[in-house]
Amino acid sequence: MKPLHIFLAIVLLALVPWLLDSQYVFHIATMIAIMVPMALGMNLMLRIGQLTMAMPAFMGIGAYGSALLAIRLEVPPLLALPAGALMAGVLAAAVGPVFLRIKGVYFVLLTYAFGQIINLVFQEWTGLFGGNNGLYGIPKFSLFGLRLTATPQYYLMGLLLAALVYLAVRAIERSDIGAIFQSLNENEMLSRAIGSNAMAWRIAAFTFSALAAGLSGGLYAFYIGFLSPDAFGFRLSVDLIVINAVGGVHSALGPVLGAILMVPLPEMLRDARQYQLLIYGLSLMVFLIFIRKGLASLIQRPRSAA
Amino acid sequence: METLLDVKNLTRRFGGLTAVSDVSFSVAKGEIFGIIGPNGAGKTTLFNVIAGHFKPSSGSVHLAGQDISGHASDAIARRGMARTFQSVHVFSEHSTQENLRRAHVIGRSHNPLAYFARLARPCFGCTQLPLVAQFVGLTDHLQSPAGSLAYGLQKVLGIGMAMMVSPQLLLMDEPAAGLNPSEKKAAGVLIRRLRDELGITILLVEHDMPLVMGVCDRILVINRGKPIALGTPGEVKSDKSVIEAYLGEDYEFA
Amino acid sequence: MLEQILVNGLLASLIYVIMALGFTLIFGIMRIVNFAHGEFYMLGAMVVLFLFGALGWPFYLAVIAGGVVSALLGVVLERLLFRPLVGDELSGMIMSLAVGIILQSIALIAFGPAEQAMPRPFSGTWSLVGAAVPWDRTVVAICSLLILAVFYLFLKYSRLGLAMQAVAQDPQTASLMGIESGVVYAAAFGIACLLAGLAGGLMAPIYTVGPYMGELPMLKAFVVVILGGLGSLPGAVLGGLLIGLSESVLTTAFNSTAALIASFVIVLLVVITRPTGLLGRSTR
Repeated sequence: MKPLHIFLAIVLLALVPWLLDSQYVFHIATMIAIMVPMALGMNLMLRIGQLTMAMPAFMGIGAYGSALLAIRLEVPPLLALPAGALMAGVLAAAVGPVFLRIKGVYFVLLTYAFGQIINLVFQEWTGLFGGNNGLYGIPKFSLFGLRLTATPQYYLMGLLLAALVYLAVRAIERSDIGAIFQSLNENEMLSRAIGSNAMAWRIAAFTFSALAAGLSGGLYAFYIGFLSPDAFGFRLSVDLIVINAVGGVHSALGPVLGAILMVPLPEMLRDARQYQLLIYGLSLMVFLIFIRKGLASLIQRPRSAA
Repeated sequence: METLLDVKNLTRRFGGLTAVSDVSFSVAKGEIFGIIGPNGAGKTTLFNVIAGHFKPSSGSVHLAGQDISGHASDAIARRGMARTFQSVHVFSEHSTQENLRRAHVIGRSHNPLAYFARLARPCFGCTQLPLVAQFVGLTDHLQSPAGSLAYGLQKVLGIGMAMMVSPQLLLMDEPAAGLNPSEKKAAGVLIRRLRDELGITILLVEHDMPLVMGVCDRILVINRGKPIALGTPGEVKSDKSVIEAYLGEDYEFA
Repeated sequence: MLEQILVNGLLASLIYVIMALGFTLIFGIMRIVNFAHGEFYMLGAMVVLFLFGALGWPFYLAVIAGGVVSALLGVVLERLLFRPLVGDELSGMIMSLAVGIILQSIALIAFGPAEQAMPRPFSGTWSLVGAAVPWDRTVVAICSLLILAVFYLFLKYSRLGLAMQAVAQDPQTASLMGIESGVVYAAAFGIACLLAGLAGGLMAPIYTVGPYMGELPMLKAFVVVILGGLGSLPGAVLGGLLIGLSESVLTTAFNSTAALIASFVIVLLVVITRPTGLLGRSTR
């Protein structure tokens, strides 16, 4: 199937909720749309050869950040959402120079520990984040005075954000930035010998992924209206890995496809969580077995420039 | 003559082993400078310290008056010192043309800020590509995947890529390694032309005597990490300590 | 007060050491970060819940059975799923994620999400230098020390143990010397799962048994191993003691979440400054 066909199929799928006009379908579609920016952010990191488990942490910061700005400081949601994402981006830019010196498995473990710390802080600092009981009272999103209360409206917002991030990643992929990322991934020593500041580019990718996650988080906060720390835990990292593995790592369409395929499962099986887990685990395992070269070399063997 | 590279008392230790010991020399602008020595003499380590892969244990390296000792290899490259590799390092799955293009892109946009700053500006170097390809003799191979080129041509591509970032000083790590005799001859010619026609200063580390003797203006000989001779090819060839160091090795001082 | 903290810390650290040993064994020999380690712990506990709690088997026998079941499953999974991925750190890790999720979901499906209590084989406390030591934890401690001793002897004096050490240090030379890596991998994974299963079985009556019970011990093992050095057995012991003690101090001073945060901060600092940990060797 040519990428164009897949793209068109996805566009058509995006219209399905209006055809079916079901509240439930809209909800699932919105959740897919919320996941897409994060999955794309993760994908960008994978393209530079790093598996990051910090995405849930950045999503959480975007979510809690936007929510708290709207609740405590009465910042209009239209500003609060990007502000929350910006907070995530700033944190990434701050820890990036330290974290990104580490590569491979150790980087994974590092971001895993980082994610756990942030999550535990969400749990512990009940005064600010509401702890395990959750943060309530997030106002509805309002756009120039129009309050968004219906799911289809949030779906539209989700589509907008997803499209934005998708286009950004696509642009990066096709531009010289994509060529630079590829070069760094294929042969970092050579790239640096010609003068590429590998560290700066990695920090940029990391910050971008955090911004995307922050956007996802902000939208999630306003959509659901309530936040609890277990939405931003290790499980989410695994979900993102599964989404990217199943959807495909090499193009920006991959994570989108992966999200469409994998996100409905936990929503539909909300009462049968164990089966959702089983399917996720099996999908991952099937992927690892049949794509025999393994995820790592997939990451390191990008398609040649078209 | 203006000094471009100044190495002072450079020492590099690895645990108990001193690979490079108190090496000093300077390379003038427009010179072709060679570093030779028997196997295990420490040439590669010396090269890698200058190129920024290792920090010196003591001593300093100055490029055009600026201290670059211990700086990262990419920072040094941005200051005008490019390097080529002993074994082949190219983006093998991409075409020769793409390789050269990438070298230019990478050099021009070394970090995201530089990328966005340059987006609006016209690309002066973009016209450079065919000229570089012609200079190194790769015009006929531009569309071939770099990995499919003959070994010698891949090494030449490496040189071409270094040229795309317009270096002042080109560090060459055993340019003749892996080449057959006619390729070696061609390499020598190319090195000369880099200096004669483009004014690039060259520092090379090499095993191949005929090449070094034929191409270099001055040569530094090191043995067991220590400098033992520095001078023109003629001076070095007849230097007693140099001959001694190489005794037992099958070298022909051409 | 101090004595209580010390005693608590020591008791906790012994189980961490057992878990960490298995975790680091797998990494040292196969270079796989086993995110499913907690699930083998859970499996051991489930077996004890069933055999001792439901069927009334003698406690120690049930624990051993738990260890054996975990070990057997581990060997099978190693042969089928992990062996093709030896050396590919990233894929091995992701595979272990998949295995962990699947095992957890099977447990969820079979037992439901609720945690279950079981009859306690030991109760009461005794006094050690002024600190109250629960008998059940004492039994765990003594058994842990026994397990450690047996493991140490195995590693030092058995052919298989020596072969494992050889493969951990230099797999190529080891194979040149005729050591069959496949056997070593199976043994390493099996023993690691045995250790996890025994740990889970021993700890089963202490708290409750549930499908998620392996998550926390795995986290602890992870922290211990990073601190001690991925692949280092003495590191696992040292790390276990340090983490157990520091955790005890912090839990008493603040609460258990603070202790956990501190543990992860330690991980962060270690990976950034000295990835090989306290006693680990640098990667090849």
